[in-house]
Amino acid sequence: MFSNHVTRNVSAYCNGELSAEESRRFNEHVMACAKCRAQLEDIKLGVKFAEQLPSFSAPENLWSNVETKLGTVPTRNYLGSGFGTWRFQVAAVAAGLLIVATLGIWLLRRDQTPVHDSPSWQIQRLGGTLQVGELSVANKGKMSVGEWVETGKDSNAQINVASIGQVEIGPETKVRLLQTQPTEHRIELARGKMSARIWAPPRLFFVDTPSAVAADLGCAYTLEVKESGASLLRVTVGWVALQLKDRESMVPAGAACETRPGIGPGTPYFEDAASEFRASLTKIDFDNDSASTNSALDVMLSHTRKRDTLTLWHLLGRVDETERGKVYDKIASFVPPPAGVTREGILSLDQKMLDLWRDQVEPTWAVNTTIPKEVAEEFWRVKNGVTRNANDLQKKLTPVVP
Amino acid sequence: MMAEQIVNGRVIAACQQGDRDAFRVLFETYKDKVYSIAVYSVGGDRAIADDVTQQIFLKLFTAIKQFRGDSEFTTWLYRLVVNACMDERRRRARLLPFGETVPMKTPAAKRPQEKQYARAEIANAVQLAISHLKPKFRLPILLKYVEGMSYEEIASVMGCSKGTVASRLNRGHGQLAKQLSHLREHVFGEE
Repeated sequence: MFSNHVTRNVSAYCNGELSAEESRRFNEHVMACAKCRAQLEDIKLGVKFAEQLPSFSAPENLWSNVETKLGTVPTRNYLGSGFGTWRFQVAAVAAGLLIVATLGIWLLRRDQTPVHDSPSWQIQRLGGTLQVGELSVANKGKMSVGEWVETGKDSNAQINVASIGQVEIGPETKVRLLQTQPTEHRIELARGKMSARIWAPPRLFFVDTPSAVAADLGCAYTLEVKESGASLLRVTVGWVALQLKDRESMVPAGAACETRPGIGPGTPYFEDAASEFRASLTKIDFDNDSASTNSALDVMLSHTRKRDTLTLWHLLGRVDETERGKVYDKIASFVPPPAGVTREGILSLDQKMLDLWRDQVEPTWAVNTTIPKEVAEEFWRVKNGVTRNANDLQKKLTPVVP
Repeated sequence: MMAEQIVNGRVIAACQQGDRDAFRVLFETYKDKVYSIAVYSVGGDRAIADDVTQQIFLKLFTAIKQFRGDSEFTTWLYRLVVNACMDERRRRARLLPFGETVPMKTPAAKRPQEKQYARAEIANAVQLAISHLKPKFRLPILLKYVEGMSYEEIASVMGCSKGTVASRLNRGHGQLAKQLSHLREHVFGEE
């Protein structure tokens, strides 16, 4: 029954032990159930840790110790009629060589031929030219782990992200599948443009780019990577996290964020922010000249609206203490800090105070969009088990998500 | 996988007849896997694991005559391994609580601000956490992640249902996540 919690199946889901139908129902439930989603996050973490378990090599002298103790046990040789110990050793060496040769041939063949047994996603050409590995795809094909997919000029294609969503790639785009398993689906976007619609719990789908990693938090977005390796993320539904090492930007619907190689994600901003605000932000994010950065901050603050506190919030931890004071004052002018949160605490980046204040500030970043009635109704039907077909809901979301 | 294919019916039949060379084939095929489970099961003490592994193979040498082929040989073997590890743990628990002499290094997990956390240190922390799990939660994790078994195979080795395996793995994964939550950023650090 759809409405039943799926907590007992979480490990089986993460370990790929559920059938396709069971996985689909699991995904549908987790999308709508905060309790099971939290459980999934915990178990996913446990699975990640368990995957780090190494194997150990037995000590070299183990056999001699075993053999010594076996010394008292009578032994005979029955492995093959007439086979003495030396013959067995010769046979063992020959078998070993055969295994090595077989393995070598297998590895060689694996490099030369497409591996259709490895996990793959379906891909469909929508227009123009599409190449998967060395092969041109006329209509539908598959992209396996490690294979590059490239579109030509004026071309585009659609990729099914396992059973959790879809990605459409635009002209002159180069992308490859890095990993696909129940706990993580990951692609690399080397250049070009893609738009993604993901219908799955947060942090299941990742896109590696030359300058950051985009982590899906349940959303729809476009991501463009230029030849220089710089990229631009624009979020249309939900949230996306952009990350490079310890630098992270959380980008909500209606906002965008640029990235640069060697620097990582810049600061997210709402796309309807003033042009002066955006130009100043680019200087702050990517200009090394501190004098220019200082004046840019002043210009930016003079063009800040209430919802631009999204940008200021990220800057709190990125600017020096003097500038942080200016940023604090601006945010406080829109959303005063709650009781227990002090200016000194925020300037010293006290995490508890930051969390308390963020709870007050974050609602101002919400996008003022109305979900169409038919989508809301379909969501209700899925959530309440009237239908189990999340794909229908995804189709109805399509007109909402550009 | 390929190595395990060497251990066919002929080798097992030869072992059952007391053929030392055939037994060597068996030993070479499974020694690392058996030793790995033993290391984790006895809390990381290599000397004890060495001893337990020897005992398992000695027992295997005599008990293999009882293998009738009713199940996969690997299932039968790992049942023996699991029982031996449980017996050893119970025996030693009467003498000295496990964990007090565990030589596994406590990782530098108190430094969450480090940008990069050495993979080896994470593995070490996981080993330590695994050793603190109850055997009924630890063994399914070892069979899953060290031996690469499916739930069905684990159920067969442990003599329980697939549902019980799923439930125990849930508890085991959950406890690992709780014990190691301070390292979350290091395993998800590449996102």
